[in-house]
Amino acid sequence: MWTARLELPTRKFIYGHRAIGIPPDAVPAHSTPPQLRIANELTSASAILFDPLHTNRPPPSKLRPTHAGTLSIANRTDSSISVRNLGGGHTAPFPPTMDNRRHPSSFQQLEKLGEGTYATVFKGRNRQTGELVALKEIHLDSEEGTPSTAIREISLMKELKHENIVLLHDVIHTENKLMLVFEYMDKDLKKYMDVRGDRGALDPPTIKSFMYHLLRGIAFCHENRVLHRDLKPQNLLINTRGVLKLADFGLARAFGIPVNTFSNEVVTLWYRAPDVLLGSRTYSTSIDIWSAGCIMAEMYTGRPLFPGTTNEDQLQKIFRLMGTPSERSWPGISQFPEYKANFPVYATQDLRLILPQIDQVGLSLLNSMLQLRPEMRISAATALNHPWFNDLPQRQQQHAQAMAAAQAQAQQAQMGGYQVPQGAY
Amino acid sequence: MAFRQPHSRYGSCNSYFVEAQDDGIYAIRAEERERARAIARMQQRALAEELSRMTADEYQEDIMDHMEYMESQTLPDVNSIDIQTEIQWFMRPYLLDFLVEAHAAFQLLPETLFLAVNLLDRYCSRRVVYKRHYQLVGCAALLIAAKYGDKKDRVPTVRELKSMCCSLYDDEMFTQMEWHVLQTLNWIIGHPTVDAFLQVALAEGPFDPEVENMALYISEIALFHKEFVSTRPSVLARSSLALARCILSRNDQKVSEWAATYDPQTVMSLSNHLYQPSQVLSRKYSSMHLSNVSTTVDEFLQRQAQIARRAAAPPTPPTSTHLEEPKSMLDAYGPQTPQKTHYSAAVMQHGCLTPPITPENEQFIAKSYPMPHALPSTPTPDHPANMHQAQYYQNTYLQPQPQY
Repeated sequence: MWTARLELPTRKFIYGHRAIGIPPDAVPAHSTPPQLRIANELTSASAILFDPLHTNRPPPSKLRPTHAGTLSIANRTDSSISVRNLGGGHTAPFPPTMDNRRHPSSFQQLEKLGEGTYATVFKGRNRQTGELVALKEIHLDSEEGTPSTAIREISLMKELKHENIVLLHDVIHTENKLMLVFEYMDKDLKKYMDVRGDRGALDPPTIKSFMYHLLRGIAFCHENRVLHRDLKPQNLLINTRGVLKLADFGLARAFGIPVNTFSNEVVTLWYRAPDVLLGSRTYSTSIDIWSAGCIMAEMYTGRPLFPGTTNEDQLQKIFRLMGTPSERSWPGISQFPEYKANFPVYATQDLRLILPQIDQVGLSLLNSMLQLRPEMRISAATALNHPWFNDLPQRQQQHAQAMAAAQAQAQQAQMGGYQVPQGAY
Repeated sequence: MAFRQPHSRYGSCNSYFVEAQDDGIYAIRAEERERARAIARMQQRALAEELSRMTADEYQEDIMDHMEYMESQTLPDVNSIDIQTEIQWFMRPYLLDFLVEAHAAFQLLPETLFLAVNLLDRYCSRRVVYKRHYQLVGCAALLIAAKYGDKKDRVPTVRELKSMCCSLYDDEMFTQMEWHVLQTLNWIIGHPTVDAFLQVALAEGPFDPEVENMALYISEIALFHKEFVSTRPSVLARSSLALARCILSRNDQKVSEWAATYDPQTVMSLSNHLYQPSQVLSRKYSSMHLSNVSTTVDEFLQRQAQIARRAAAPPTPPTSTHLEEPKSMLDAYGPQTPQKTHYSAAVMQHGCLTPPITPENEQFIAKSYPMPHALPSTPTPDHPANMHQAQYYQNTYLQPQPQY
C-alpha cells in the first residue's frame, strides 16, 4: 500500500483514509436479504454487481452495450450493475423490448466527417429508418472513466434544446467508447464558405441570416447560463435548409452569477477575445460575442480576421486593427497578467478598409461585437434587436409569432388558465 | 556540481538560483512582487465584479428561471430513499463525513460538494444500493461532480479515490459505477446547487467572506439531515443566508426581494441543527480561511443558552439542568477535552434517524468516533495495525492511545 501512495502525484496530501466502517452488526438482521449471500460469493468486479435474483440474464462476462439517453428510467434494466428500480418504476418482466435503434450496430457507419481532439465524427445512417445522423465517437480512457468534456457536453446539450443548437438524439455506451448521436447537418460553416462562397466570401443576405441564427443560438446558451467557449466556423453547422446551428460543446461550461474563475486556455486562438488573451480568468458571456464578431468578418472576406500564430502575435494582430488600448481607453488594462507596457502602439483602423462589402448598419453591429473591453461588447440578446436584422424575413415572421403567442397568453391569463411551461426533457 | 550550472551565470536567472539565495535583497524583492500581485488581484476582482454585474443585468432573470426549473428537475426523492433495503439513513452522515473530507483533500470547489451529494441522493432515489457499494456511489458522485465543475488538474484520479477507500473497490468498479450513475441520472448533471443560489444572493451586497462562509457552513450542516434532502436549493440557500446574517448580526443590509425572502420554517429547523454539527464539518470550518465560523456558531449558541438560562427562573433546578443541555458543548471545545459523540445525540434529540437502540448500536456509535488523529495513514485494511480500528472503545479518549 505504501508503494501505491508514494507513486501518487505530490500535489496534495493523501488522507490516511479508510473504508467507512459501517459494521455488519449495525444493520438490523431483518434487512439483510438472502441474495447478499450469493453476491458475496462472487469475486470479479462486474460479477459482484450482478444479482441473479433480479435479472434473468446470464452472468456478465463483459459489458454489454448500454444506451443512456432518451429512454425513461422505468424501462431501462440493461445494466451490468445489478439494480432494481425503486419506487415509481415497475419491476416488470425482463428484459423490456430493447429498441434496436439505440444499439450501435443499428447505425451504419459511413464516411468520417472530422476528427477532434477527443472524438471522431462519422456520418451514419439509421438502418431502420434510413435517417442520417452524425455519430460522435468518444474513446473512453479505461483508467479515468468518462472524460470531463463528455460529461459537460452531454449534460449541457440535454439542457439546451433549441433550433439553433444541434440536437443530441441519444447517447450510446459501449465497452470502450461513448457514441453521441446527433442530428445530421450538411456541412460546417468553413466548408460551406469554401464550397458556396466566392473565394470563401459569402453574399450579404446569407451572412445576415447566418449571423441571426448564430446570435440566437448564443443568446439561448447565455440565457441558460452556458458559455460555449469554442465558437469558430468549424463548430457551426449548416443543414440543407440553410439553418445554422451551434455544435461541439466540449469546451462549454455552466457559469454562475457572479462570474467564476475559469481557465483561459479556451477558444481557438484566432477567435479568442483580447481580455482572455491578456490573461483574464473572469470572462463572461462577452467571450462568445467576440468570436461571433470574428466569424462575421470572416464570412465577408472568406479569410480569418485575426490569424495569429502565438498569443502575442494574436494580440498584435488585434491591436493593429482595433488600436492598442491604453489605461485611458481601458481603465485597469495594466492589471492583466499578460499586459506588457511595451505593446506596439497602433491607431484604430476603420473596419471598412478591410471589409469593403459591408453596409453601414452591419458595420455598426460588427463594431459593437468587436469591442476590446468585454464590458463594452454588445450582448447576444441586444444584438438580435439590432436594426441590421430588421429586413430579415425570419425575423419578421418570428416577430409576428411572438405577438400572436403573447396575445394568446394574455387571453389565457384572462380566462384564468395557467399553463405550466413544458421543458424539453 | 559545477557541471549542473547553466552556461551563463549572470544571464537568465532560473529558479534554481533564486531559491538557493532566498534572502536579503531577494526576499525584499519577492515581498514587493507579492504586494504588487495582491494589488493586481484586488483590481482584477473589481473588474470581474463589474463584468459580472453587467452579465447579471442582462441575463439574471432568464438564468434564474432556468435554475429554478432545473432544480425542480433534479431534486432527490426522500420517500424513494426510505424504501432502500440495505442502506439506512443513519449511514448517510458517515458517508457524508467521508465525502466532506475527500472534497477538502482534493481542494475542490464548494459547489462540487453540494453537487456530489445531490447526485448521490438522486441515484439512491432510483436504484437499490447495497451497503457495501454506498461508498462507491459516493465516490462516483464526487468524481462526476468534480469532472463537471472543477479544473481538470483538480479532478481526483481513480487511483486516489481507490486509496481513499482503502482499496475496497477495484479501479474498474469506479469507472463502471461512474457511468452507471450518469446513465441512471440520464446525464442530467446541471443541478443548480445551494452554492450557486447563495452566490446569486450574495452578489448583491458587498463582499463579506464571513457571511459567505457562515452561510456555506449552515448549508453544509443541512446536507447531513434528511429533512433538507428534498428542500429546494434556492430555499435552502436563502434560509441559510438569513440565519447566517442573524448569527453575525448583519441585519442592516439592503437586498433585493428575491434574496431577502426566506422560509421561516426552514430557518427554524436549520437553527435546531446547529447544536450538533458533524465533527468533520466543524473542524473544516474552524480554519481561518473559512473565517473560523464554526467557533463563531458555538459562541453564539453559548450566548443563547446563557440568555435562556437567565430567562428561566433560577429556583427551578430541573428546568435549568434541562436547558443546560447545549452547555455540554462548552466543554467540547476546550483544547483537548473529550467530545460528545454527536450522531448519537442528534439521533436521540431529534428523533429523525432512529436506529434501534441495541447494544450493538451503541458499540457502533462508539466506533464511529472521529478517528483520524490516532490512526496511521496506511489505508491497508489487513495491516495488523489497523486491526485496532475494530476495537474502538466507547471512551477512546480515556484510554491510553494505542501505540503504533
